[in-house]
Amino acid sequence: MRPLLAMIVANLKMTMRNRGAIFWNLLFPAIFIVIFGMVFGNDQTITIAVGVTGADSEYRQQVTYVFTEGDEFDLHESTDRAALMADLEDGELDAVVEFGESADNAFPPAVVHYNQANGPTADIVNSVIQQVLMGVAQAESPLEVTLEPVNSDSVSFIEFFVPGIVAMSLMNSGMIGLSTTFTTWRERGILRRMRLTPFPLPSFLLARILSQVVVAFAQTLILIGLATLLFDYRPTGNIFVITIAILAVSLAFLAIGFAISSVARTTESAAGISNLLVFPMLFLSGVFFETDSAPEWIQPLTRLLPLRFAVDALREPMTRGAGLIDIWQPLLALGVIFALALAFAARFFRWDSRAA
Amino acid sequence: MANVSDPGALAKVHQVTTARTNSGAPIIEARGLTKRYGELFAVNGIDLTVFEGEIFGILGPNGAGKTTTLEMIEGMRKPDGGTIVVAGIDVVADPRRLRQAIGAQLQSTALFDYLSAAELIKLYCALYEVDDSPARIDELLGLVDLGEKRNAKVNELSGGQKQRLAITLALVNEPKVVFLDEPTTGLDPAARRSLWGVVQGVRDRGTTVVLTTHYMEEAEVLCDRVALFDRGRLIACDTTQALIRGLNMSATIKATCEAGSLDQAELAALPAVTGATVSAIGSQSELSLTTTSAQQSMIGLLELAARRSVTLGDLRSSQANLEDVFLSLTGRSYASDTEPATDAPASSRRRRRRGEAA
Repeated sequence: MRPLLAMIVANLKMTMRNRGAIFWNLLFPAIFIVIFGMVFGNDQTITIAVGVTGADSEYRQQVTYVFTEGDEFDLHESTDRAALMADLEDGELDAVVEFGESADNAFPPAVVHYNQANGPTADIVNSVIQQVLMGVAQAESPLEVTLEPVNSDSVSFIEFFVPGIVAMSLMNSGMIGLSTTFTTWRERGILRRMRLTPFPLPSFLLARILSQVVVAFAQTLILIGLATLLFDYRPTGNIFVITIAILAVSLAFLAIGFAISSVARTTESAAGISNLLVFPMLFLSGVFFETDSAPEWIQPLTRLLPLRFAVDALREPMTRGAGLIDIWQPLLALGVIFALALAFAARFFRWDSRAA
Repeated sequence: MANVSDPGALAKVHQVTTARTNSGAPIIEARGLTKRYGELFAVNGIDLTVFEGEIFGILGPNGAGKTTTLEMIEGMRKPDGGTIVVAGIDVVADPRRLRQAIGAQLQSTALFDYLSAAELIKLYCALYEVDDSPARIDELLGLVDLGEKRNAKVNELSGGQKQRLAITLALVNEPKVVFLDEPTTGLDPAARRSLWGVVQGVRDRGTTVVLTTHYMEEAEVLCDRVALFDRGRLIACDTTQALIRGLNMSATIKATCEAGSLDQAELAALPAVTGATVSAIGSQSELSLTTTSAQQSMIGLLELAARRSVTLGDLRSSQANLEDVFLSLTGRSYASDTEPATDAPASSRRRRRRGEAA
């Protein structure tokens, strides 16, 4: 136990003091969060898309007139209540105002459906629409306004983006970080030197993996913290499920990194191979945008990428509070990737970079 | 050109290999050690005995099989034939057990970056599960004169300091034998000499030291006994003094003169001279005499030059050294062999192969 712990501590120290590793593991993904958060993160509150449906009345016409005239509103009037509610769930609409039948010439009741997933935006939308409803009625009589939250699939950009960036940073530290570290150690004779100590290779590898897993959790926390601080990101979901997902993602990419280090002869070629695998994945795995917009023929392919499984395993629990059952497919896929990559690495592992 | 290999000298050298300077018991015994890569014998039937408490040098040009031999003794490479016993442990059968008993230094680059000297020592102490108290770490730093570099990171150390750190890391488990693979390669002369002092200090604490080197001078100054390797074979093994005694000479005399003014036969006839060559370099001749008595031959040469009114230039005499031993045993000069790009002519290789087979 003592040798293993000492090796883990040594690995953590080396990682903390390695500026290149700090850049790729932390700064690089943090820069993505800041830039993309600033560009795409705050665009929802400029106009309020509001749907109007329900029984017709003079009151409804007056309210509709306000929505039509106001620049800040984007009116969608329809008798098809179901279609409007579907748009609300998809995030096309910010709210749907549903009018009821009026009794005794009083103001008809109005129900405001809003999208809970919009977070703080939803509160603003609600208060604006309530002001309109009350203002038109001049609050003469106790107006019955009911707020109806809607659970929907639509998520804000930052909620969508943070799990993707976490997946990306785990991929970078796992694949590029581990593969270049191991090839450097082999080139410099450090692996040979370790072989001359009583400390066995599996423990040596385990120490590196455990230390990288610790780093992976730190990375996740820092990235989530940054998004929370700057862009009102609200972490949701079950901590236990998210922990399992991070572990699975991290281990799968570390195993791939180890496999790369076993075939790459030099540190340069390890970095080259890693980047060759990393970059296509970055753009085809739905880190920055849904892959629905990618060409048809490439879609089935993107579903098999390790980063795609990583993004799915992290995004579902982190945005929609998915449970372990909901993400069994990506978790299983990551497990298979881990096992295959490790077996491959063990098959081709070399202590020594010298010929013969 | 070079002297032709002298079978008599070879036999003489082998006769004295049983002699030894240190009174310790054998701690390494290798018999018939062989390692083959395809057709090529990297190491070809080597017998070695190292005694407790000595500094044992494995010397030879690049590609002579030094490192391969060392790695087989360390249990890192499985020999294709032969037996090795180190500190009572059968290395071929039980390489894992050996690791607790030995220490090893590889290249200076085999150190983790970003850790300080003290942190690295602490880590190695933990790997061997031995005492890692601050006092012990200070002691290990002191052994290699790195006390002031306690908190310096590996990348802040000079080449020589890195090597010294690598050596003390090989000592954390108080091994009976420590293996140093080319510990001074790439160091400047001052750093090299300071490292010799460190190695002698290690030996003085009672640790047996086995080191490889391709520096003749290092083997002469530092090692109690030297194993001379050439192309996978052990060609001589003894103290430097005994190896030189086995030669048919004690010194080399060199000089230049006007081309054609002195000929080989009259030089060979000078007192105590055992061999003479005259080679033309431009308008000059370069003379090279091997002698059993530098004084007698020098007087003879000076008298000959005076009689003939020949002006000798660049006259010098040097004590016989391991280079002469290598030359006499292989027929090739050591200096030309250690230059990386130089390869010995095929004919001389073939001649040597035949000689070995006989």
